[in-house]
Amino acid sequence: MKNLINFLIQYSVVFLFLFLEIISFTLIIKNQEYQKSVFLSSSNSMVSGMYEWSNSVVEFFKLRAANNNLSEENTALKNQIINLQNKLSTLKPEASDSIHFRIPPEMEYQFISAKVINSSTNKLLNYITLNKGAVDGIKMDMGVISDEGVVGIVKTVSTRFSVVIPILNPKIQISCKFKRTNYSGGLLWSGEDYRYANLTDIARHVELALGDTLITSGLTSTFPEGIPVGAVEDFKIKESDAYYRIKVKLAVNFRTLSHVKVINYLNFQEQKELEKKSEE
Amino acid sequence: MPTVLQNIFRFILLVLFQVLVLNNIQFLGYINPYLYILFILALPVQMPRWFLLLLAFVLGLTIDVFSNTIGMHAFATVFVAFYRNGIIKLFTNIEEGNNPTPSFHTFGVSAYVKYVIVLVLIHHSTLFMLEAFSFTHFWIMLAKILLSSLVTVLLILGIQSLKTK
Repeated sequence: MKNLINFLIQYSVVFLFLFLEIISFTLIIKNQEYQKSVFLSSSNSMVSGMYEWSNSVVEFFKLRAANNNLSEENTALKNQIINLQNKLSTLKPEASDSIHFRIPPEMEYQFISAKVINSSTNKLLNYITLNKGAVDGIKMDMGVISDEGVVGIVKTVSTRFSVVIPILNPKIQISCKFKRTNYSGGLLWSGEDYRYANLTDIARHVELALGDTLITSGLTSTFPEGIPVGAVEDFKIKESDAYYRIKVKLAVNFRTLSHVKVINYLNFQEQKELEKKSEE
Repeated sequence: MPTVLQNIFRFILLVLFQVLVLNNIQFLGYINPYLYILFILALPVQMPRWFLLLLAFVLGLTIDVFSNTIGMHAFATVFVAFYRNGIIKLFTNIEEGNNPTPSFHTFGVSAYVKYVIVLVLIHHSTLFMLEAFSFTHFWIMLAKILLSSLVTVLLILGIQSLKTK
């Protein structure tokens, strides 16, 4: 008994070491669940508060780029308004008298604008924190885009903040297609460079060209069809391969990302329910 | 107790610097120095080992909370803290009863440089291996370990050489 106690005292440091390492390791393994428990992730209000403060300083240096983007978007929107006004004036006499309220297809999507307050691009698993949360109507699995193109998908939401998994994280795959030929495949990040990702599942009979534009396929309810994803930078195929290896230059520059829009698909619930019903 | 205060101050300063500045450095996509480990390297030599381990765990977990990597930094930092004393014994011969703070002055230049290089390599290797969690990205991982370690070591040596005394 005495020997045992002596042994324990003598090696107490080793035991403490093992104990702490086992705790750390369990935390890593259970990372998935811990992402959900908002307390320890960067949705945590104290941590987010600090990041928001630090971002308010850094934001200053990105103002010029943000301004340019905004003014470009502004002109595009104004053009659109004029077009729509013209169309509306030709349609007015025959206004519809439908009683049933319905969200027309072109208004199914609403955008919630948000600001990036923390992001990384150099890890294997990157995350982005936004300054909007459940209060502003953000829910899990909503798509996130910027003016340039697709950014990622909302993963966790707290009352005032939310964490997004960007394309730069092998945990998600974005379904996209070629604008020219309509063939669709999955976009997966390779873990190396924040500017490029790989496109999978494009069979060898598909015709490709360098610079072909990729857009979202609209096959999932997260993103509407036609949002730019990137362009083909390089492609290879070996004699024995059935699928191309395609390197895609991403449309979004994740290093300078500051303002994003979260997509709220208003008919999401209805679509999900219908799909569920038909599976039964 | 000026040493205690000095260390508390160093803890806060290094965590803030790591989280607000260094985590945003993404040079070439490979280089991401983790300078906060200097806190463990600069603790007094004769500090009780159990306390050293606990401090390392707290430090690692603090960095983890800020960078969404729960457990990884804690694991790597505790690992370094555990092997620290062995490596000090390996490179230096400090007499019983002395309790110096590791630096160029107390260890000698070559011993201190070796001490920093070995511990930073241990820390970065553990950390980046945990991050990858597989060997599919082996070469990227290796490049990240070596380049980041190099930058961290240079930063630590630079800071230490600025100190007078």
